[in-house]
Amino acid sequence: MDSTENETKVNGKDQEKVKSELLTINMGPQHPATHGVLRVEIKTDSEIVSEAIPHIGYLHRCFEKHCENIDYRGNLPFCDRMDYLAAMNMELGYCLAVEKMIGTEVPRRAEYIRVMVSELQRVASHLLFFGTYAIDLGAFTPFLYAFQERETILRLFEELSGARLLYNYVWIGGVWNDIKDEQLLRIKKFCDKMDGELEKYWTLVGHNKIFVERTANVGIMDTEMCYNYGATGPILRGSGVEWDLRKKRPYSIYEELDFEIPVGEGEKGTVGDCWDRFSVRMQEMKESLKIIRQCLDGIEEGPIMGKVSKVLKLPKGEIYMRTECPRGELGYHIVSDGGKVPYRVKAKSSCFTHTSMLPEVAPGQLIADFVATIGSVDIVLGEVDR
Amino acid sequence: MHKEIADFLNQKVSGAEAKALEAEVGQSSVVVKAEHILKVCEALKDSDEHQFNVLQVISGVDFPEGIGEQKEGVIEVNYMIASFIKNTELILKIRVPRGDDENLPKVDSVCGVWKAADWQERECYDLVGIDFIGHPDLRRILNVYDWKGHPLRKDYVVQETYQGMTVYPPDKRNDPEMAFVGEQNRLNDEAKAAAKKAKAEAKGESS
Amino acid sequence: MNKQPEELTLKKYFQNIWNGIKTTVKGMSITLRYVYSEKSVSIEYPEVREVLPEGTRSRLFNDTQNCISCDQCAVACPVDCIYIASKPRPKDAEKIKTSNGTPIRRELTQYTIDTSLCCYCGLCTTVCPTESLTHTSDHEYASYTIDQMKYDYLDPEVVAWRDRIVK
Repeated sequence: MDSTENETKVNGKDQEKVKSELLTINMGPQHPATHGVLRVEIKTDSEIVSEAIPHIGYLHRCFEKHCENIDYRGNLPFCDRMDYLAAMNMELGYCLAVEKMIGTEVPRRAEYIRVMVSELQRVASHLLFFGTYAIDLGAFTPFLYAFQERETILRLFEELSGARLLYNYVWIGGVWNDIKDEQLLRIKKFCDKMDGELEKYWTLVGHNKIFVERTANVGIMDTEMCYNYGATGPILRGSGVEWDLRKKRPYSIYEELDFEIPVGEGEKGTVGDCWDRFSVRMQEMKESLKIIRQCLDGIEEGPIMGKVSKVLKLPKGEIYMRTECPRGELGYHIVSDGGKVPYRVKAKSSCFTHTSMLPEVAPGQLIADFVATIGSVDIVLGEVDR
Repeated sequence: MHKEIADFLNQKVSGAEAKALEAEVGQSSVVVKAEHILKVCEALKDSDEHQFNVLQVISGVDFPEGIGEQKEGVIEVNYMIASFIKNTELILKIRVPRGDDENLPKVDSVCGVWKAADWQERECYDLVGIDFIGHPDLRRILNVYDWKGHPLRKDYVVQETYQGMTVYPPDKRNDPEMAFVGEQNRLNDEAKAAAKKAKAEAKGESS
Repeated sequence: MNKQPEELTLKKYFQNIWNGIKTTVKGMSITLRYVYSEKSVSIEYPEVREVLPEGTRSRLFNDTQNCISCDQCAVACPVDCIYIASKPRPKDAEKIKTSNGTPIRRELTQYTIDTSLCCYCGLCTTVCPTESLTHTSDHEYASYTIDQMKYDYLDPEVVAWRDRIVK
């Protein structure tokens, strides 16, 4: 047992040495601030964390073993249940990997719809991050504002695909249903409204003195640590590295679109603290709206599904395909032996690597700061445990 | 690119026997001998012309019937490494003999090179069953800590009980007599039709 | 890891107080606007039902008069929740067709969907050749036991449900 001995002076006289030990408590599987079933075993010395050990596996649903028994099209509903808050991006990565192996060409209209839907999903996911991060730190109002904006997006997805959260919409070779013109008009109206809302969120939460005091200079992850652990996405960008897969290794039609990559600069504190990660995600929402507007202008007429055979068999080989999801990089490693069923599917999830960084960031923080750090990493347990 | 990396590795690390596997469909990779994986990773990370500074994922694939010319069971461990400075990526493979639940195959751990290997190797140990020598804390990560067996092996059979509870009780399974009755019916019909055809041919021959 | 905060001078102390008041007042001006002028967006649920878009993937329904027992839905289902049994129709029975013209060659003896396993992915409805299997928009079907979640679509009570609820 670790113990420290303190000498205390009471009324000017030396008292006996008071022995204090580290207290082990569970930030247990059921906790409102851990965004899922994450259990962190914290050893604290009064209010300061000295060691944090995460235990995961409470949501393990054997995705990889399941995929070895079901054919390629049937695996799509399981893919979007991994990160259930950004389901379109999960399906897009899988479809891109399979299409690269069989070499189909996806029609242009389907590519535009896919990019538009992925970026709308990114806006929805970051809105949810904004709402839940504010509520973790005690601000109850922005949660409902964010969810009201999210309603427009989810309603549109329900008309397109039939479901609000787990879509099965992006198929191998294209998309399932076509998008109508009046839905495109609604997306345009949403983009215009969202610009005004983002200003409101900055005033309400982002520049608020209490929020800044709680998140600036807290949970600093510098560049060397990010590279060593393999962190990607808003965490790497919040630490000052300009790395976005949509610009560095473009897939789909991202090469033809014009957008910027926001990077954390340490405006309110140091580079790589929680405020930087928050600000990177808010600026990413603005860039996504820019991309959606360009897609609305450039969408072409045509078919929405390419030529894919009814019984899908991939040639022998393997592929590793990376795409940029709202929480980081998602990679699919598919090994095929020529049959109807994949031989091995491995999903590299970003939240798994980000959760492994928590033991190094934690020591020395107050428990309240630790809650702010977990919230800024934006973990979704479905992706951690698969 | 894979040929240059293979030549560079053969130069730097003696005995590594790096070979580039070029593939027409899918992605090419570089195979190395399993005993030298630690030196190979250090060479790739520290070299100035490659600078592979990020380990993304370690993925283990089980081939009980062997790959290529090898006919004994192997497990293939793939290290996906990338360079965020030079914007390249590489799949590094090693092949180890399969072993079974009592003697797991042994591989050197690369935790000293990239800290990302910590949790990735724990997952590989848990699901595929590879013992990493030199890992600071090798225990299961996704399954319960006292689970038996390694689920992603092809010959895995789930255990019957766990701490006194039945693992897959029969009243929670899909009803076996309802399952795929249609498929069985169609197979019966086809068998009957084939038997009828054979009888008709036999009759046709005899008459 | 945190950084040590900077030194607190008297000027910074009062500046912090002023910043705190200023940003709070700015924030409150937004929320007070919501109290007095914005419209409420709540729907009072049991009295007012929201109209779901068409094409919503909710409970499945199979119109067994039109089913040709091709087993495509059972094969496409990723969780194996559809149980079908059928036998061929006798040769001398009259020839019947479905509503879109496909001849029916087999007679359906059992068609059960285990709704507790269904994941509402929609793969079964896309492969049905006669469109007898469709998604309805019924979402209020909680039951007390799991056995009640197995719906037998040859049961006339279940067929009557469809005419009662689905528009």
